[in-house]
Amino acid sequence: MNQITVKNLNVSYKNHSALENVSFEVSKGEFVAIVGKSGSGKSSLLHALANFIPYQGEVSLSGNIGMVFQNYAAFPWLTVSENIAFGLKGDTKDNCAMVNEHLKLAELEDKADAYPDELSGGQVQRVAIARSLAHNTDVLLMDEPYGALDAYTRDKMQKWLLDVWTTHKKTVIFVTHNIEEALFLADRVLVLHPTGFTKEFIVPFPRPRNPEIKFTEEFNQLRKEIYGAI
Amino acid sequence: MKKFLWFILPIISVCILWELVSRSGFVNPALFPPPSKVAIALWEMIISGTVFYDFRDSLWRLVVGLTLGSVIGICTGLVTGRIKSIAKAINPIIQILRPLPPVAIIPLIIVWFGIDDGAKIFSIAFAVFFPVWIGAYIGAQQIPQTFLWSARLFALSRFKMFREVIFPASLPFIISGIRTAIAIGFVMVFVSELSGASSGIGYRISISSLSYRIDEMIAALVVLGTLGAVTDQLFVLATRRIFPWLTLSQK
Repeated sequence: MNQITVKNLNVSYKNHSALENVSFEVSKGEFVAIVGKSGSGKSSLLHALANFIPYQGEVSLSGNIGMVFQNYAAFPWLTVSENIAFGLKGDTKDNCAMVNEHLKLAELEDKADAYPDELSGGQVQRVAIARSLAHNTDVLLMDEPYGALDAYTRDKMQKWLLDVWTTHKKTVIFVTHNIEEALFLADRVLVLHPTGFTKEFIVPFPRPRNPEIKFTEEFNQLRKEIYGAI
Repeated sequence: MKKFLWFILPIISVCILWELVSRSGFVNPALFPPPSKVAIALWEMIISGTVFYDFRDSLWRLVVGLTLGSVIGICTGLVTGRIKSIAKAINPIIQILRPLPPVAIIPLIIVWFGIDDGAKIFSIAFAVFFPVWIGAYIGAQQIPQTFLWSARLFALSRFKMFREVIFPASLPFIISGIRTAIAIGFVMVFVSELSGASSGIGYRISISSLSYRIDEMIAALVVLGTLGAVTDQLFVLATRRIFPWLTLSQK
């Protein structure tokens, strides 16, 4: 069952075209990574899916959307628990339980009253992801969320995200520059050019995935192929 | 201790220099009384209680005028900063009024409101409005798009969007606008009390001038200046206490 169907999507800014005739489908619970050069329209695609920018074409997306950005992922004027609770409607007691549950998920129980500027980059991203999940998001759009993290934190965050995804089985579209990251996380890797997806790679590695797979010959071979396609 | 010394030493140095110049014979001590004489005048004002009444009345006018001007400035700034149609309608009027020296409208305000506190408060609020408006206006325009997009996904009402996202995201600019407004507010307190007042620090300076009490004039000016500096520092302390994240963001 498709959660996202995009047909002939076009996005243009003033007098230049960012995306032309992009079409693809994403199944429910699927983890799709999108890679491409700078300016290939990766972020524009996510912004169009979230209805942030005007577009032409057909976008059908069922369920709630959550989005995680590379920068300004959490509101700096709210504490970690306030960020997670942001926008929650309904009973205060239920919301409180929801916040506690997601603080645990983000492994930030001891940082509940801290502000984002007191956290590391990885912790801020965990807050943003936990906030999206607390809103019962069905589709998580992630725009280079780990782009500003160091290699070690990035590896840790990838493992954490996979654990969260395995538990919650949300549909994820993950935009990244990093081919290794895309291969490690996703079921499918799509290579984007402004004129559309040029190639699709099905990731053959079984789940749950171990970071060790990054050192295998098969992983390296696939990485080279994707690099060539970009 | 070191911080206190850095604060107090320049003040003591200026006072010593001032005392020496005033007593040197190069200047007329009646026109340029030494700080020791100013201190005596200030002490007399404290003993008689006039300084407290003047202080109280000036502070009351300042606080009410500053609050009114700031609240209207923040609301207008945020709305014009985010809603283009409202900005198009309101900004030309603000831009015409903004270059007017606030002091220039005092005669008109006296005609409209008389010489009561209302006139003084209005003139302070009028002057304070513009720096606060421009702070809030620029603050609302520079909000990172990702904050607004994140909030949009949570389907906030327009009012909640302003209260929970646009206002806090604009705060650093609003605070800087209010700090400028505090200084302007003090100028307006002084100017508005020069005519048609029977109390206040401006009034005290005015009648001291008429009675040729330069020492009293300078003492009242010292009180006004100190009040201005203390108000600014209290405002900074209060914002740090109320919005602790601001200090973290600046770091």
